[in-house]
Amino acid sequence: MIEVVEQLWKKRRDHYLTIALKYFRLIGNSGFMLSLYILFVTGSFYYAQILKQLPDQFPAVWVLLVVFLYLLTRSPFRTFLQSGDLVFLLPIEPYMKAYFKKSFYYTFLIQAFSITLVTLALGPLYSRFISLRTSDLIITLLLLIVVKGWNIRTSWEEQRLPYEVTRRSYRGIRICVNGVFLYLLFEKAYVFVIAMFAVMYVLHQFVYKRIQREYSIKWEHLIHLENRAMMKLYRIANLFTDVPQLSQKVRPRKWLSFLAHAKFAPRRPFHGLYRKTFIRSNDYLGIYVRLTLIGLLFLWWIPSGWWHVALLLLFTHATGVQLLPLFKHHKGNVWFELYPLQKDSRFQAFKGLLQTLLSVQLCIFLLFLIILQEKWSFILLCIVGAVLFILYFVNFYTKSKLRDVK
Amino acid sequence: MKNILEVTNLTGGYTYDRPVLHDVSFSVRAREVIGLIGLNGAGKSTTIKHILGLMEPVKGKTVIHGTTFKEAPETYRSHLSYIPETPILYEEMTLWEHLQMMAMAYNLDETTFETRVHPLLKEFNMDNKVTWFPSHFSKGMRQKVMILCAFLVEPDLYIIDEPFVGLDPLGIHSLLELIETRKNNGAGILMSTHILPTAQQYCDRFIILHEGKIVMQGTLEELQAQMGHPHATLDDIYIYASRGKKV
Repeated sequence: MIEVVEQLWKKRRDHYLTIALKYFRLIGNSGFMLSLYILFVTGSFYYAQILKQLPDQFPAVWVLLVVFLYLLTRSPFRTFLQSGDLVFLLPIEPYMKAYFKKSFYYTFLIQAFSITLVTLALGPLYSRFISLRTSDLIITLLLLIVVKGWNIRTSWEEQRLPYEVTRRSYRGIRICVNGVFLYLLFEKAYVFVIAMFAVMYVLHQFVYKRIQREYSIKWEHLIHLENRAMMKLYRIANLFTDVPQLSQKVRPRKWLSFLAHAKFAPRRPFHGLYRKTFIRSNDYLGIYVRLTLIGLLFLWWIPSGWWHVALLLLFTHATGVQLLPLFKHHKGNVWFELYPLQKDSRFQAFKGLLQTLLSVQLCIFLLFLIILQEKWSFILLCIVGAVLFILYFVNFYTKSKLRDVK
Repeated sequence: MKNILEVTNLTGGYTYDRPVLHDVSFSVRAREVIGLIGLNGAGKSTTIKHILGLMEPVKGKTVIHGTTFKEAPETYRSHLSYIPETPILYEEMTLWEHLQMMAMAYNLDETTFETRVHPLLKEFNMDNKVTWFPSHFSKGMRQKVMILCAFLVEPDLYIIDEPFVGLDPLGIHSLLELIETRKNNGAGILMSTHILPTAQQYCDRFIILHEGKIVMQGTLEELQAQMGHPHATLDDIYIYASRGKKV
């Protein structure tokens, strides 16, 4: 039985790695890697600059503490469980120990790797403020990895607890332990660090082992966590390509309900539907707001003139393209076909919303340009250019892109 | 009595050369509840999809009030409302917004909507849940949303696919009462179900499908006569029909 579950685990990990690799390759091909590389090079240049200019009383210990406190405490456990397991694996729960053990090693490996990366990245900060000796840094890294292991182990036992409230309070214990440990570590109080290990040992033996004895595995909770982890990958990949498995999360956003509210309009149900989907479904609103803010940032950054016209068109185009998937958001919903309405009415509603959104964004950009005291001639040029572009985009581009979508 | 729905020689399925339905003919008249009965895979859902106009028939046609779907899709659709077996909801919309959407799609005016919606909500115990999102609904509540939407429109023809599973007893009672009222007001109802005792009690006529063909149809008395057992229940008749009419 143990070989069977181990085999199952391996099969699932391989399956996951295939999927992840496929998406990473897509992301790599999209030109995103190049911008990441440029960001990395300029970033490290400025990092060195900033490091030189920091005052000597800079609270480096606290910065390091916050970063690693987050990394240590957050220990998501990759189980590769699937919804069907609730039926098919439940009967062999006693044999699942071997399965989860494999998960533990996998999780540990991945997270130890990320701890190492971050430690290396923060290495210069460490040498400037904590200790110049490389051996200190290496010891710090090793100790961090050991404590990472403790956190994964204990947070795994935490997941057996039935309520979120209790899980949170146990996480509170880990935050305290990790915090004290990190403080002592970065203050180089190694003797006390050893004492902290004793505390961790005691907690593990007498608190977390007790949880293990008293509570069973919470299958539904674990499956939920696993799904969430998968969704995270899908959501990132979805920025670059279409991910069919991405289940949409809905946020009611009650504070925006005045915008979501649609007038009762016979024969025009899609206007309200698209507006509500835009506001409440996971990311359309987020993308819109982010692109608008980045646009404003660029307008502020780049000196006025012809560039502003180009920027305006660029961001209008980017926003429009990012919003196109909204049209097919309800793909596969049979109601769309059953309503006694003209086929075109859905597309018309979508076009209307798109035009409104792009126009509102344009107004924000223009207002900002006025505040920046841009020359009136250029503002006029921006208005004419952007309005023409929006009309073209909504009436021609959108149609050609969405023609084949049902 | 006039026919609302007429299905004539319907042959169709998911591939052209292997139809699921063979030469299916029946009708639904005004003031009539028709029970569509058959084993899993007998072709009930395929029949319903053809009536809804979601599939093209290979042969034959489905006609509502004298027109086919092809001739006038909007008019055809405006005569019917549909309760699917698995509820289909918009996750982004509250219960109230679903009802509003349905009313708008079927061109009801706002006053008609308001007068119809409140009694319905009360009947199904959903009047305190109008601001809820579907993610908070149980399977039965999702089913109720579908029922509310379908009955809000008050069409001439109701297509109901297995409505009882997952519904609480009070909900079932309310649904059956509603079906009764709408029937008496002149609507026709086509209902597919596996709950035979309920069907026997509430349906006026039955269509028994087996492997894509209609093997028996008629009122309970007619079916009993065909079987030769004057006191046979719908259960008996159904088993008899699906075993190739051998007792």
